[in-house]
Amino acid sequence: MVESVAKSGFKKVARLMMKEYMVVIGILLMSVIFTLSSPYFFTWDNWKNILLQSSTVAIVALGQAIILLTGNFDLSLGRNVCLASCVGALLMKGQVITNVAWNPWLAAIAMISLAAFVGLCNGLLTAYVGLPAFIATLGTQYICFGIAKLITSATPIPQLPDAIGFLGRGYIGAIPVCVIIMICLYALAQFLSIKTRVGRNLYAVGGSREAAFFTGIKVKKYYLITFVIAGALAGIGGLVLMSRLNSVSLSNGQNYEFDAVIGSIIGGISLAGGKGKLIGTMLGVIFLVTLFNGMSQIGIDPFVQDVLKGFVLVIAITIDVLTNKKRT
Amino acid sequence: MEKDFTEKDFTEKDFTEKDFIKKGSIEKDSIEKDYILKIEGISKSFPGVKALDQVSFGVERGTIHALVGENGAGKSTLIKVLSGIYHAESGEILLDGKRCNFTQPSDARAAGISVVHQEIKLAEPLSVAENMFLGNLPVKNGLVNWKEMRVKAQNIIDELGIDIDVNQAVNTLTIAKKQIVEIMHAINFGSKIMIMDEPSATLTEHELKVLFRIVKKLRDKGITIIYISHRLEEVFELTTTTTVLRDGCHIATLPTASLTKEQLISLMVGRELGNEFPKECYPIGETILEVRNLTRKKVLRDISFSVNKGEVFGISGLVGAGRTELVRAILGIDPYDSGKIFYKNKEVSFKSFHEAIHNGFGLIPEDRKLQGLVQMMDVKTNICLANLDKVLHGGIIRSALEKKYAEEYVKKLSISTPSIHTEVQYLSGGNQQKVVIAKWLLRDSEILILDEPTRGIDVGAKTEIYRLINRMVKAGKTIIIISSEMPEIIGMCDRVMIMHEGRKTGELMRSDATQERIMAACV
Repeated sequence: MVESVAKSGFKKVARLMMKEYMVVIGILLMSVIFTLSSPYFFTWDNWKNILLQSSTVAIVALGQAIILLTGNFDLSLGRNVCLASCVGALLMKGQVITNVAWNPWLAAIAMISLAAFVGLCNGLLTAYVGLPAFIATLGTQYICFGIAKLITSATPIPQLPDAIGFLGRGYIGAIPVCVIIMICLYALAQFLSIKTRVGRNLYAVGGSREAAFFTGIKVKKYYLITFVIAGALAGIGGLVLMSRLNSVSLSNGQNYEFDAVIGSIIGGISLAGGKGKLIGTMLGVIFLVTLFNGMSQIGIDPFVQDVLKGFVLVIAITIDVLTNKKRT
Repeated sequence: MEKDFTEKDFTEKDFTEKDFIKKGSIEKDSIEKDYILKIEGISKSFPGVKALDQVSFGVERGTIHALVGENGAGKSTLIKVLSGIYHAESGEILLDGKRCNFTQPSDARAAGISVVHQEIKLAEPLSVAENMFLGNLPVKNGLVNWKEMRVKAQNIIDELGIDIDVNQAVNTLTIAKKQIVEIMHAINFGSKIMIMDEPSATLTEHELKVLFRIVKKLRDKGITIIYISHRLEEVFELTTTTTVLRDGCHIATLPTASLTKEQLISLMVGRELGNEFPKECYPIGETILEVRNLTRKKVLRDISFSVNKGEVFGISGLVGAGRTELVRAILGIDPYDSGKIFYKNKEVSFKSFHEAIHNGFGLIPEDRKLQGLVQMMDVKTNICLANLDKVLHGGIIRSALEKKYAEEYVKKLSISTPSIHTEVQYLSGGNQQKVVIAKWLLRDSEILILDEPTRGIDVGAKTEIYRLINRMVKAGKTIIIISSEMPEIIGMCDRVMIMHEGRKTGELMRSDATQERIMAACV
C-alpha cells in the first residue's frame, strides 16, 4: 500500500518534470553548454546578473501570463511600464502635476495605480466594449508611449531618490531585493491561482468561455480583473526597473510584452488559454535571459541574437499549437 | 390504462405502415420510372450513432420530391452526403445513371447538384447580381464583364417574375429575397437537382406564396427539386413524391397524393416505446415557476405557462421553435421585452445567468462539449466548478473535499472514468453528460433545466440519464426538459408544452400526449 503510494508519487513527479518543468531541464542543459564554452558564465556574479535582468521582465510577464490564461493578450504592457516609470520619476522629482517633489513611496503608489488604470481601460475595451484584445491594447500602447514622450520631452530622467533604490539595488543577505520581490509575487500568484475561487474561475474562463458562462461565472468580470492585475504588475515592474537602473528613459520596458509572451509559452502557458502554471512563466523568462546572457558570453553578435529570439518564439508557439491540437 | 392506449395506437400504426410499403413496392415494380438520381444503400455513422442506415430511393426527373422526417432522422446527413460535405461509408449515388463519387462540395456542384441551405450563405455587402454569379462571374479579356452579368441576372429575375433590383446590396434585402437570390445562384450553376433545406422555415405567408411559385417554375424548367420541410401542408401542396426517413432508415417513398397528413405523421414518428423510459411518478406540489405573457421581439410571442414543484415539464417543438430562447430569457441570459416571471410566488427578473443560478436554477445546456464542460479540465474540477462554496474553507480550495465530492458523485451516477483526475474530453458523450448533471446535483438546484439532455448519446446511457431524472424528482427537484425527441418527451414528462415559431401551440398532460398530437401542434 505504502509502496504503491510512493511509486505513484514518483511517477507524478516524473510526469510533472516532463510537462511543466521541461523548462528547468532546458535551463540546466543550457548552463552546461555555456559553462563549457565560457569561464565567466558559471560565476555567482553572472547568475546574479541573469536573475536581476529576469526579475523586472518576469514581474511584468506574470501579468501577461494571467491574461494568457484567460485566452487574451496584452500588447500595451511594455509601454505601460514606460509610462508608469516616467510619471513616477517626474512625480518624485516634482516635475509634473506639482512643483513639489512627492514622497517617493506616494509617487510609487501613484504610478502603480496609473498602470492599473491603463489595464482597466484595456479590460473595459476588451470585455465590455467587445474589441479584440489585440486591437484595444495596440491602441493603448500608442497612447501610453505618446504620453510618455510628451511629458518627458523624450529626455532621460537620471538620479532618482535614494529611498526607492533599495528595491532594485538592495540586497537581503546575498540575494537582490528585486529577485525576492519576483519570487514572492510568483509564489503568491501560483498559490492563489491554484487554491482560490478566483484562480479556479480564471482557468475555467480560459478553458472554455462558454462553459464558464453556463456554470455561472461572470466571464467579463474576469477578463477585466486580469487586465487590471496585469496593469498593476506592469507598474510594479516599472518601479523595480527604474530603481535598478536609477534612471528612467523611453526604452524602459520596451518589448517586455513580447518577452513576457515568449517566456510564458516556454514556461508551459498555452496561447489558447486555460492551461499552464504561472510559476512556469518565471522559469521561462529565466530561460530566455540565460540563453541571451550565454550567447553574449560566448560572443554571438547581438543582431544574430535577435534573429534567434524570433526563432525561439516561433518554435515555442509551434510546440504549443501542436500539443493543443492533439488535445482537441 | 395509459399503456393500453399506446399499444393499441401502435398496432394500428404498424398495420398502416406495412400497407403503405406494400403499396409503394407494387408501384415501383410495375412501372419503370425515369430517375435522375438514385441513392443506393447509403450508410454513414458518427461515433455512437448510425445516422444513415442503408438508405435507398430514387428521385424522378423534373419532379418536386419531398424529404421528411423528425429531427435526427438523417435528412441533414443525407443532404450532406449528396452535396459532397460528408463521405458515405457504403452505398452509391447514381446521377443520370452514372456513379458519382463526391469528395468535396465543388464536385457535387459541378455534377449539377446544388443546395439552398437553411442558413443563408451570401456575400452580404455585394450586389444581387454579383451574388447570383459568385464563383461563376462572366469574364471578358480577363476582367469581370459587369454589363453581361447585369443583363443575365435581369433575365433570370424576369423569367421568375420577381421584384428584385440586380444592383441592390444583398444585406438590404429581406430574408425571403435573400433566399431567392440563393436559389438564383444555384440556377446559374446549371443545377439539374436543387436541394432546398427548409426554405420556408423563416418566411411569412405571403413570402411563402412567392417561394412556391418560384419552386414550381423551376420544376417547369426541368429542374428536379428535393424539398425538405417540417411544414407538412407544403409537402402536400408542392410535391409529387414523398420520402420518409426515420432513425437513419428509409421508411417509404410514396406518391404524395396517396397519403393523408395523419398517415404521413405516423410514418415519420412510428416507433415503439419500449422500457427505454423508466418513468416513475411522484407527488406533484404547488406552482414553483410561472411565466406570464413572455414576449421577446421576433423570438418569443406571448408565452404563458407554469411548472409545479416535483414535476417533469417538457418543452417540445421543432428546432428553431424558440424553446432554448425561452429558457434563456427566463434565466436572464437574453433580455425580454414584456411579460412576468414568478418564482416561488415572488416576481423575479434575473439580470444575469449568475443571478438565476444563485436563486436555485440549474441549466444543462444544449451543447455539452462547448457549453457544459471545460474539456481540458478533469472530472473532479468540472464537478466542483459550480460548487466552489462547498470545497472552499477559509477562502482556500481544499483538495480533500474536492476529491470527496467528486468520488461520491462519480459513484452515485456511475460515471465510468479511469479516475477523477481524467480530463473530461476523454470520456464518452454519455459520461460527459453525467458529469454535467453531477455538477448541478452537487449544487442542489431547485429547478434543473435540461436542454436536449440525450442528444448524441447511445440508448443505454440515455436510460441511465432518465433514471437520474427520476432520482432528482424523487428528491423534490423540479425538472424542465427541452427535447426534439418526441418519445423522450412522452416517455418522461408529466406535462408537455409545445412551441412553434416562438408561440405556445399546445399543452398536453401525460395521459393525453401522443406523438401524433404533439406533431400536429408542432407543424
